[in-house]
Amino acid sequence: MSREGGVTASVDRPATRASRRSLPPVGTPAGRQPFADIARVHMEPLYGFCVRLTNHPTDAEDLVQETLLRAMRRYDDLHDPSRAKGWLFAIATNAWRDRMRARGREVRTVPIDGLAPDGDEFSLFQTVAIEDPFPYSDELHLDFLRLFRDEDVQAVFGSITPVFRLPILLTVVHGFSCKEAAAILDIPLGTLLSRLHRGRKQLERGLWRYAVANGLVTTTDEEPP
Amino acid sequence: MIDCNEAVRRMWAYLDRELGAKPVAEFEAHLQTCQRCCGELEFSRHLRELVADTDAAPPLPPELRSRVENLLADAEMPTEGPA
Repeated sequence: MSREGGVTASVDRPATRASRRSLPPVGTPAGRQPFADIARVHMEPLYGFCVRLTNHPTDAEDLVQETLLRAMRRYDDLHDPSRAKGWLFAIATNAWRDRMRARGREVRTVPIDGLAPDGDEFSLFQTVAIEDPFPYSDELHLDFLRLFRDEDVQAVFGSITPVFRLPILLTVVHGFSCKEAAAILDIPLGTLLSRLHRGRKQLERGLWRYAVANGLVTTTDEEPP
Repeated sequence: MIDCNEAVRRMWAYLDRELGAKPVAEFEAHLQTCQRCCGELEFSRHLRELVADTDAAPPLPPELRSRVENLLADAEMPTEGPA
């Protein structure tokens, strides 16, 4: 079904990479912005999105190219150019899902750490307070966050189950509203909000585990449950 | 009045300005009475910034830029009419 703005209407299914010779002509009716202009404006955010989505630079490059090929074919579906970024991200998401299916790897919907679906009440805030890794700090919690370099954050972020990582990626990193993110992912808003919460919990747990595993903090007890 | 569990659940939505008027009022009323949740809200704000500050739009690798520009150039070329 087509959604307003063509966010999801544009998703075609074939995941094959077309050769340049097989590209369809991209018509640009009078007064319409050429596809290439739209693509160039959103190229770098799209690449950044694909890098975080795939967790693999080469896969990300292929996904960018495949996304653009699919988008070219469906350019007529983009009725509102101001929604082009979300439209491209939706196409990229579906292309990535197709790739995962083709590789026999369904996108995970179950937390990798074996937690009950709604039972992850791990609190990083509470854990840091209890473990107190900086006994003399006046800014205990902020000092904990200051331990993480950009590459540390990216490593932890990449370890979040993809289905829970995507909502954070869209809303927190790329600035879409929850409603827009739900449209891009083609899921109900309630589902999006639930996945955001679970993604955040995985992020919190991941940061703590990473800090312990990499010696950024020392703990007195076993890892909290 | 909401409890701490519900307040924590609403924190990121609050920071994203995604909560409706009533949930915001309930959340802020809870903050008036709960120092712990005020601290966790501040922590959540910084945690969110930690993720948001990761590079959302890194420069394209030169080889990919070249591939994309070739692809877009093909798209811009006028199609040939019948001979």
